[in-house]
Amino acid sequence: MSGIDVDLAVNGLITGLFYALMAIGLSLIFGILKIVNFAHGEFYMVGAYAYTLIALALGVPVWVALPLAFVVGAALGWLTERTLMRPLYAGYTSWGLMRDEYAVIVTFGLSLFLINLVDKVIGPYAYRGPPLVETSRIVLGPVLISGHRLLAAGIAIAVIAITAALIKWSFWGQQIRAVSQNRLGASLAGIDTAKASAIVFMLSGGLAAFAGALLSPVINASPDVGVFPAIKSYIIVVLGGMGSVPGAIIASLALGVIESFGAVYLSYQYRDAFGLILLMLFLLFRPQGLFGEKGREV
Amino acid sequence: MTTQSPPPSRASAQLSNTKTTVEFRVALAAMAIVALLPLGVGNAYWLGVLIVSMYFAILAGGWNLLAGYAGQFSLAPATFAMIGAYTTGLLNHYYGVPPLLGIVAAIVVSGLVGLLLGRAVLRLAGPYLALTTLSFAEIMRLVAANSIDITRGDLGLGVAGLLDSRVGWYYLFLGALTVLLVLFYLLLRSKAGLFLQAIRDDEVAARRAGVDVVFWKTAAFALSAAASGFAGALYAHFAELVTPELGLIAQTGLILSMVVIGGMGTLAGPIIAAFLVYVLSEWLRDVGGYQLVVFAALVVIFARFFREGLWGLAMAAVRRWRQA
Repeated sequence: MSGIDVDLAVNGLITGLFYALMAIGLSLIFGILKIVNFAHGEFYMVGAYAYTLIALALGVPVWVALPLAFVVGAALGWLTERTLMRPLYAGYTSWGLMRDEYAVIVTFGLSLFLINLVDKVIGPYAYRGPPLVETSRIVLGPVLISGHRLLAAGIAIAVIAITAALIKWSFWGQQIRAVSQNRLGASLAGIDTAKASAIVFMLSGGLAAFAGALLSPVINASPDVGVFPAIKSYIIVVLGGMGSVPGAIIASLALGVIESFGAVYLSYQYRDAFGLILLMLFLLFRPQGLFGEKGREV
Repeated sequence: MTTQSPPPSRASAQLSNTKTTVEFRVALAAMAIVALLPLGVGNAYWLGVLIVSMYFAILAGGWNLLAGYAGQFSLAPATFAMIGAYTTGLLNHYYGVPPLLGIVAAIVVSGLVGLLLGRAVLRLAGPYLALTTLSFAEIMRLVAANSIDITRGDLGLGVAGLLDSRVGWYYLFLGALTVLLVLFYLLLRSKAGLFLQAIRDDEVAARRAGVDVVFWKTAAFALSAAASGFAGALYAHFAELVTPELGLIAQTGLILSMVVIGGMGTLAGPIIAAFLVYVLSEWLRDVGGYQLVVFAALVVIFARFFREGLWGLAMAAVRRWRQA
């Protein structure tokens, strides 16, 4: 492994960490409601704007703006769940047939709405978020990395670890997993499934917004900035097994590395296509993903 | 929370046929009105707007057949328009194939690609189907945008025109739309229409009842794709330019909003809504550019509260008026 390979691997893993922040939330939503949230990228976009505007326009220190971006994303997630997701499980048994279609339409519509609303209200111009630290490139052996990116990666690791621990061991985390496994069973055991869904959406929106905030100095917030990260997270949840959090984390890191090497050794122009091809192959031949359990709904 | 009625499903053959016939007649009446519009609209710009509306009406009708009637929620309708446009565009640009022949080739090629995609995604449903078709759409668009040596990428490929007069184009698109409308009506009125709706309502039950699910699902994909490819090919020669932008996800979003606002699974709703949405969006563009915000909000509101769309609302109003 030459120096450039080490550099590619490390930078790919770091990219994967940011993917994981997005994908965990998407995977949790799939777990609990069995839907894909097509507006997930817009939580990311809103986070990037929230951080940038709070820090620049209000002059709030970046260390305060960062958690605030999480709060904004969580609020948006909660609102989405309350207004649009409730019909998926509260009553409405009469149209169970078109349930999946309803979910695709409203989340797709919400995505278009948020992109265009931001485009009109804030404008189509890109905003560069303030970096957490003003250091130029740091050289660690063969690896070249900016100070902000290194710090952001560290924060991402911490947030991912905390989230994974909460889902694994906390009271609400256990309830969320119970609802994901069997909604009816969980509700019979006294779990408030509506509350569990709301918490998942808040966590999911918050994490995606946090990812957007962390990356805003690099990605330059613009209305459609969430589109590609969202597609990456779809790829990841499929690879990792829809609904599996450990699967999402591992698949995120894997995709980051694959893209990093693919862009250099295969084709830079088609770097975004590799993951999509993987996604299609997986859905066609192994829909349960790498770590998902095999099962079929009738 | 309980104001919604269940979707029109498991209707008897008789009822379904009458319903489709009413929708067909209303759609034909709408086409007749559209046919008279050039008498009043002399402005080339607004004629152009109406032509693009008809392009979207074909796409919306084609996607509605697949998603609304057969229940196969593909997110790639705009992609098939792009495939159709590039088929005739490349044939014309490199081999000088005349547009009319190119358009026929576009229908065949996009239909075949639709057939293959439909075949590949047979076992997938719901979110899995949506994700697979979405990735297919993005891969195709990336290929078109990055094969710069062949397609000239985002610069676009110049292709030959077909007609000189805008009014000529207007009636060509209208003719195409009407022909498709009649074809869809005949299809839906036949047993095939019932098979498709049976698959949408309950695939397992449909199979048990003897419906060849594999054949009809694949056929729905192929037909819908061929209709989209046809629209894309016509549009290519109208605009005299083919770009990867034809296959943008936002274009699919526009088609989806037309169908949802018009009423999924109704013959007339999506086609009429295509005109309303596109003409209104051009008008809103002049007033401040809020068109996409408005339509995206409408999609969410309609999906949430008025699942049968404008057509469903209109029918409910007619029923109330008759009772009064």
